[in-house]
Amino acid sequence: MLRKKRCVAMLLAGGQGSRLGILTRHEAKPAVPFGGKYRIIDFPLSNCTNSGIDVVGVLTQYRPLELNAYIASGSPWDLDLVNGGIFVLPPYQTGTTGEWYKGTANAIYQNLAFISQYNPDYVLILSGDHIYKMDYAAMIAHHESHNADATIAVRQVPWDEASRFGIMNTDKEDNIVEFEEKPKHPKSNNASMGVYVFTWEKLRKYLTEDEKDPNSSNDFGKNIIPAMLADGQKLVAYSFNDYWKDVGTIESLWEANMDLLTDAPEIDLHDKKFRVYARNLGMLPQYIAESAQVDNCLITEGCEIHGIVRHSILSSGAAVAEDAQVIDSVIMPGARIEKGAVIRRAIVAENAVVSAGARVGEEEGLIAVVGQDAVVPENAVVTAGEQFGE
Amino acid sequence: MKNIMGIIYTGERDEQLKELTAERAVAAVPLCGRYRLIDFPLSAMVDSGVRNVGVITQKNYHSLMDHLGSGREWDLHGKRSGLAFLPPFLNNNTVGVYSGFLDALHANLNYLRSCKERYVVSTDTHMLFSAKFDELADAHEKSGADITLLYTRDPGVRRNGRGRYIQVEEDGRVSRLEVDPTIPRLPCTYLETFCIRRELLIHLVDEAVSQGHHHLTRELLMDGINTRSLKIMGFENPGRAWYLDSVQAYFDCSMEMLDQDTRNGVFPADRPILTKLRDEMPSRYVSGAVVKNSLIADGCVVEGTVENSILFRGVHIEKGAVVKNSIIFQDGLVQEGAQLQYCILDKQATVLRETRLLAPKSYPIVVAKNLTV
Repeated sequence: MLRKKRCVAMLLAGGQGSRLGILTRHEAKPAVPFGGKYRIIDFPLSNCTNSGIDVVGVLTQYRPLELNAYIASGSPWDLDLVNGGIFVLPPYQTGTTGEWYKGTANAIYQNLAFISQYNPDYVLILSGDHIYKMDYAAMIAHHESHNADATIAVRQVPWDEASRFGIMNTDKEDNIVEFEEKPKHPKSNNASMGVYVFTWEKLRKYLTEDEKDPNSSNDFGKNIIPAMLADGQKLVAYSFNDYWKDVGTIESLWEANMDLLTDAPEIDLHDKKFRVYARNLGMLPQYIAESAQVDNCLITEGCEIHGIVRHSILSSGAAVAEDAQVIDSVIMPGARIEKGAVIRRAIVAENAVVSAGARVGEEEGLIAVVGQDAVVPENAVVTAGEQFGE
Repeated sequence: MKNIMGIIYTGERDEQLKELTAERAVAAVPLCGRYRLIDFPLSAMVDSGVRNVGVITQKNYHSLMDHLGSGREWDLHGKRSGLAFLPPFLNNNTVGVYSGFLDALHANLNYLRSCKERYVVSTDTHMLFSAKFDELADAHEKSGADITLLYTRDPGVRRNGRGRYIQVEEDGRVSRLEVDPTIPRLPCTYLETFCIRRELLIHLVDEAVSQGHHHLTRELLMDGINTRSLKIMGFENPGRAWYLDSVQAYFDCSMEMLDQDTRNGVFPADRPILTKLRDEMPSRYVSGAVVKNSLIADGCVVEGTVENSILFRGVHIEKGAVVKNSIIFQDGLVQEGAQLQYCILDKQATVLRETRLLAPKSYPIVVAKNLTV
C-alpha cells in the first residue's frame, strides 16, 4: 500500500491533435514545442509542480515515443520521487481482453487501479492542449469549501465564440445547473476549460457505471458530467480568468507564441515563484553575430543568429544564416534557415531546413508550415496557409 | 565500459583570479555564459566513459557544492558510482589544509582504495582545454607506462616564472620536467592531467608522503623522471589550451569564445559540455535592442546595446545602456543609460543609471558580487 495522497492528477495526452496538421504527424500534440524551450505538456506539468501535486498519471495513446522520451523520469518537474512521481499510462491488455482508450472517461476508467493505490481524496483531470499557468491547489480548495462532488474550471469567452465550447450555466452560488455542449444559442459564456476536480468515490462510481453503458461515448463532457447533473450531484464552477489559450490549431498555436512577444505578456514566464519547467538541453548560450539584427524576439540556448529576426520565436539550436529574414514566425528546435531565405508568418518545425533563397509564408493570410525534418529546396516558395512536408 | 575513475583537484592558487575567486574556488569560476570551469573536465570525463569522479576540494567550496549537487546533470548520481565530494578534514594524520596535491591524495587514500576502477585520470581546473581522457587512458594502457602526462604545444599557456614544462622524447618518454622556471626552457606544457593505475597511485602516494614529500609534480614526478625509477610517458592533447592565471587571462579567454571556430573547439558538437540547469525562459530582445557579436544565455532581457560581450543567465540591460567588450555574470543589472567597457560584473552586480565604467583593454575592471555601482 502506497502512502495516501490528497490529490492525484491524470493528464489526458493521448489525442493526435489532427487540427495541427503536419505538426502532429510525427508526435502527439502535448509534445509540440512552444515558446522557444517548452513543449505544450510543460504547462500542465509545471502547474502540478507549482500546486504541490506530486502524483501525475499521463495517459498516452497516439505516437507516444517523443512524449515518453520527453517525460522520462520526470526530473525536470521534480516528479522523480520515491513517494509519488510521474507515470506514463498507455492502454494495456488484460488476459484475453484489453483495448485502446475509447474516450476521455474510458482512459481514466482503465486506470482506476492506478489511482486506487494512492487512495486520494480528489482526482484532478487535465488535458495537454492548453497554454496557461494555474494554481490547481486553489481550485481544489474551492472544491473542498463548496463541498462539491465535481468542480469544473470555467472562463468567460467572447459571446460570439461561446457556441464552440462546452457551456456551464450556473446559479449565484457557482452551482452548475445545466451543461450544454457547443450550444447554438448559449445562455452564458462560461466555457469549460477541460480541467476537472472530482471527489474520488464519485468519480469511481460514475466511471464504472458509464463503462456498463454500451451506448456511451465514454467522454467526460458528453457523458460523465451530464450523468452527474441528472443525478443531482453537486457540481460547481471555478472561474479562472488569467491567460489561457487553446493551441489546437495552427493559427492558435502561432497566436499563442506571438502573445509572448507583447510588451507585458499576459503569461509571465520570467516569474521565479511560478516557474514553467522544461527538459533543458543544456546547449551553449545563443550567439548573435555582427551581421545580425534582433528586434522584439525570444531567442534561446544553442541558437546561432547571423541574419534578421523580427517579432519571432527561435527555439533551442535554431540557426539563421546571413541575409536570411525571419519575421512574425516560430522556428522550432534545431531548424535551420539558410542564406537569404525569407520566413514570414510561418511555423518551421523541428530540424527542418529552409534552403538558401527559399521563401516561406507571406506578409498576410494564413500561417505557412514546414513540417518536421522537411527540407525546402533552394529558391522554393511555400505560400500562405500551405503545409510543406511529406 | 571504460575502466577509469576520475579525480579533479580544485585546491591551491585560488588567489590569482582576485575578486573572481574571493568567494569561490577556481573550479567554480563562471565561464562562457552558463558554465563553471569544473564543467569542462567533468564533462570530458563523463564523455570518456568515466562513471566515478572524486572532486577534491580545499577552501571556498560552498559554491562548488551548490553547482555540482548530486551530480545529476552529468549523470553521476547513480547507485553504483557517481560523484564523491572530498573536502578536507582533520584527523590524526592531516592538518586540514593540504600543502600540496600529494597531501590531498594521501588524505583520501581510503577513498581511492574503496574504488574499483583499474585506472585513474586526474586533472586540475586552472587550465581550460577540450580533452578526450579515454584516448589518454588507451595510450597509457598500450605503452605500458607507469604514469602518462597530458601535455600541449600551445604557446598561449606558457608563462614566465610559472607553470610546469616537460621534454618528451621521440619514443614518447618524458625526460625532463621543470616547475615554475623564470623562463620556460622545455618545449611542452604539462596540463596537470595524468593517467595512472589506481593501485600504483596509492602505493606511490603512500611512499612519497612517508618520505616527507607534499607535492606530486615537483617531488614525486620530478624524482621519477630524474632517477628514471618510473616510466613516465607524454601524450599530446591537440587543440588549444588556456591558462586562467589572471583576470586578464580570464577575460582574454572569454573573449576568444566569441569566435566560432574557437568555440567549436572547446564545445565539440558530439561531446557536449554539461552544467547545472536553471530553467530560465528564452532571452527577450525588445524593439530597439542592438546586439552584435555576443554570447547570451537564457533568461536575459536586452533593451539596450550589447557588443562583443558575454551575458550570463538572467542579465537585464535596460534601455539606452551600452555594454561593450564586457562580461556580465548571472542576474546582473545595467540600468538605463549606463555605459560599460572592458568590465567584468560578478553575480548580481548592479550598475546604476547613467553610470560610466570605462576601463582600458589592458586592465578590465572587476565589479564584485552583489555590489551596486
